[in-house]
Amino acid sequence: MTLSTLEACKAIQEARADAIVISTMSAMQCMDQIDPDYPFGLSSVPLMGGAAGLGLGLALSCPDRKVIVLDGDASLLMELGVLATVAGMRPSNFYHFVFANGVQFNGGANLPVAGAGQVDFCAIALASGYAGAARFSQAGALRAEISACLSAPAPALIELDIAPTPPRFGPQLAQPEQGDARFERMGMEARRLMRALGTSR
Amino acid sequence: MTSLPLSIPAASIVERLDACGVHKIVTVPDFVQLSVHDLIDQTPTFQVIRCADENQAIHVAGGLHIGGHRVAVLIQNQGLLNCLNSLRAIGLDAGLPMLLVIGQFGREFSNVGHDPALSRRRVVNLVEPVLDVMGIAHWRLDTPLQLSNIDAAIDACNQRQAPAALLIGHYTAWDPS
Repeated sequence: MTLSTLEACKAIQEARADAIVISTMSAMQCMDQIDPDYPFGLSSVPLMGGAAGLGLGLALSCPDRKVIVLDGDASLLMELGVLATVAGMRPSNFYHFVFANGVQFNGGANLPVAGAGQVDFCAIALASGYAGAARFSQAGALRAEISACLSAPAPALIELDIAPTPPRFGPQLAQPEQGDARFERMGMEARRLMRALGTSR
Repeated sequence: MTSLPLSIPAASIVERLDACGVHKIVTVPDFVQLSVHDLIDQTPTFQVIRCADENQAIHVAGGLHIGGHRVAVLIQNQGLLNCLNSLRAIGLDAGLPMLLVIGQFGREFSNVGHDPALSRRRVVNLVEPVLDVMGIAHWRLDTPLQLSNIDAAIDACNQRQAPAALLIGHYTAWDPS
């Protein structure tokens, strides 16, 4: 596979228009590099497994605006039943990207994810009732098709075969302390998103 | 065999949710609130989002709040214990309010109207201490004399912009058809 997290995020960022984007884990870190101040962005952090549910609530609230979820494979596996939850509500504006890199703590420790990378998220999504599914493993193909993907019937799942980022933690580099910002950003971004949507109370 | 305690009518709960503008109901069905589920399903004012588990219910409720809605999460006590980390992240760290309507599944009839801490079942007696530890305000709804607690919980949720919990202590009553 030759698709990196950064390449995938750039392709999505270029195609998203004014969509709401909910991201988590590796995709979130990449979107931080590309466009950290996007007013319609929201991070599910520290909360693996929460992105799709947050996205569903927003998709039902904002039916005229696309909602793009940037999930991880390990994150989605934590709440795999959310595929049925989403499909049951049939949100026609819900686009669910899964960054399938096969590891947990990508770029940090790269521990193997449950299922050993053999889980077929496209098949599970379709079997759960998603309207469509697609898989990409090449940056060029993703760039060429992403606009069509975001115009296709939804809810749709787009599985991305992502090359893991080399791990950096080990004997030579210990894990850093987690700063307060990591625990405060979801609330700050939620309030920013509410201002952008005009839903602040 | 303990006699059946007096129940809260489903209509009393549903009417207050409606009056307070809480029309998004996110749920993993609760055996204690079967009549509430039935009445909500029959009332077009409400949109019901059925979730595969309670973590998802909390996540969806957070998204709905950001989208401008007042939200109730109908779950049972087992579900509360299942979703503590999601509640920590969405409700407490991110500060997104939601009304938790939690059925006390498995409660002894003899305990209804008394302190749930005296229940022999952990699934019942752990609920209030867990909510206390999390700093989530909560109100009991065991008998019709406590109906004002519905508005108290909703008001607290709105005013504090934080989760608040209403603990449904006994099977809600079916309305006469």
